[in-house]
Amino acid sequence: MRRLLAPLLLGASALAACGPTPIDPARQIGPNPFLPEPHQYLLPPMHVSKALGWKDGAKPTVAAGLQIAPLATGLMNPRSVYVLPDGDVLVAESGGPDEPINRPKQFVMNVLEKKSHTPEDPGQRITLLRDVDGDGKPEVRSVLVDHLNSPFGMAFVDGSLYVADTDAVLRFPFAPGQTRITAPAVKLADLPGGPIDHHWTKSLTASPDGAKLYAGVGSNSNILENGLEAEKNRAAILEIDRTTGASHIYASGLRNPNGLTFEPTTGALWTVVNERDELGPDLVPDYMTSVRPGGFYGWPYSYWGQHVDPRVRPQRPDMVAKAIKPDYGLSSHVAPLGMAFYTGGNLPPAYRGGAFVGEHGSWNRGKFNGYKVVFIPFAGGRPNGMAQDVVTGFIKGGGAQGRPVGLAVDAHGGLLIADDVGGTVWRVTAAH
Amino acid sequence: MPDDEPRYDNPRSTARIAGHPLHPMLVPFPIVCFVGTLVTDIAYARTANMQWANFSSWLLTAGLVMTVFAVIAGLIDFLGDPRIRRLRPAWIHVVGNVLAVVLAIINAFVHTRDGWTAVVPTGLTLSALVVLILLVTGWNGWDLVYRHRVGIRPGDAP
Repeated sequence: MRRLLAPLLLGASALAACGPTPIDPARQIGPNPFLPEPHQYLLPPMHVSKALGWKDGAKPTVAAGLQIAPLATGLMNPRSVYVLPDGDVLVAESGGPDEPINRPKQFVMNVLEKKSHTPEDPGQRITLLRDVDGDGKPEVRSVLVDHLNSPFGMAFVDGSLYVADTDAVLRFPFAPGQTRITAPAVKLADLPGGPIDHHWTKSLTASPDGAKLYAGVGSNSNILENGLEAEKNRAAILEIDRTTGASHIYASGLRNPNGLTFEPTTGALWTVVNERDELGPDLVPDYMTSVRPGGFYGWPYSYWGQHVDPRVRPQRPDMVAKAIKPDYGLSSHVAPLGMAFYTGGNLPPAYRGGAFVGEHGSWNRGKFNGYKVVFIPFAGGRPNGMAQDVVTGFIKGGGAQGRPVGLAVDAHGGLLIADDVGGTVWRVTAAH
Repeated sequence: MPDDEPRYDNPRSTARIAGHPLHPMLVPFPIVCFVGTLVTDIAYARTANMQWANFSSWLLTAGLVMTVFAVIAGLIDFLGDPRIRRLRPAWIHVVGNVLAVVLAIINAFVHTRDGWTAVVPTGLTLSALVVLILLVTGWNGWDLVYRHRVGIRPGDAP
């Protein structure tokens, strides 16, 4: 099938080659990204990375003063990491459902999707890693809970472990120290799931006081091509009452919000967002933003404030007018899926208080963008300065040895990176 | 072959089964699909209901798949008998339909876009152009048969 598709796509891309010349992604990093004119193609620029995996002990490259080593390998599509109060590390090994084929294009997209993912089935489970002495070699590795439905977000509050499956927030009774959960889950709240479930990862975090949970719910389409009805409670962050399970939209217009986390000094909720595709190699910049309660951030009607998307009907000038400009551009198609504020003590002091962002990497642009972990310095609870590459070297030729997704800071101050294609959780620490 | 009756020896269809030319059996599929595409495009432009745009996408794809077979049969006929190639309407038929197929292929790619601009204005315009061309080429396709007797069985008096 792929052999048939390749010449077809090549021929079409020759047809469609005329388009804007790509710009330096650095021009789109920061609070005021450069925004070129939108451009629509017969065939949009595409470069899908082939999943390679790490061979012969290969590993990512880190910035000066840091070192990296695998905390665990051989995982089944690890997508997110979470650190429990006692230091145990939870890894969600997960994959999304196949999208139904609503039109011929989806058939091609499913084929491309397969190329960029590992052929093994995702685990659909949570694995626990225990590294008491902090040497980066866990003494315990145990499947904590399995047979989950595309789990992603995790949060531990007050004797309960909350897991965001793709269609619900589940509550498991959990005592720190446990390595296996046998008690059945109680469903706390529904989340928008199938049958389409285009953006399936449901990020989860608890408010600092533990009273509320926040779930990131991505849109059910690129730009409304599955109809407005499919977008109910999507492209939003839902606030869920932890005792009653009642939920409501906390903020909206966020196409695919992930990495929900509270900034430690201000207590503000932050997220990274995957913006829309197929308007050109440098539109629309993905971003990181603080989230205002009740705030609307544009999707689908507009992007980066008031830039109207021509593909949406009916248009909504009233919603466009309300759209909040995000705080910080990360450049286009980098696909940020993880975010963590550095609160640890192990890494060099320059990293304290800033944010790490895991960029899963692009497909909708000729030249790869993302495929790395970056660091954005913060001052006074706001981004302050240019993003710096911290972990790179995921790309090798036309393929990806690994792709970073979720991030977390462990009990010893190491930065943990879930690498789905590499089947690995990486741990970054200060170099000796 | 009754060559002794040259008056009734019509231009022959080479691609045929049991004396029935294949090309006229196959062309209704793409014609109906491409006319259908125009109809569902108009329905989408009036309602912005994505399901209509999805129908257009499927109709275009199905039309193009059936086009492959219709073109093969048509080309075999065109190349199979020099008397067909000497007919002016046959050339209009070939050139017009090649143009229609090229436009339909471009249209299929336009229809892979997401949302409104998958149809309005480029997709809808291309769908209408394809149908207009098919009206012309369909008309002279019938000319080839009813006037120039292409594929009419030799020996059958008019």
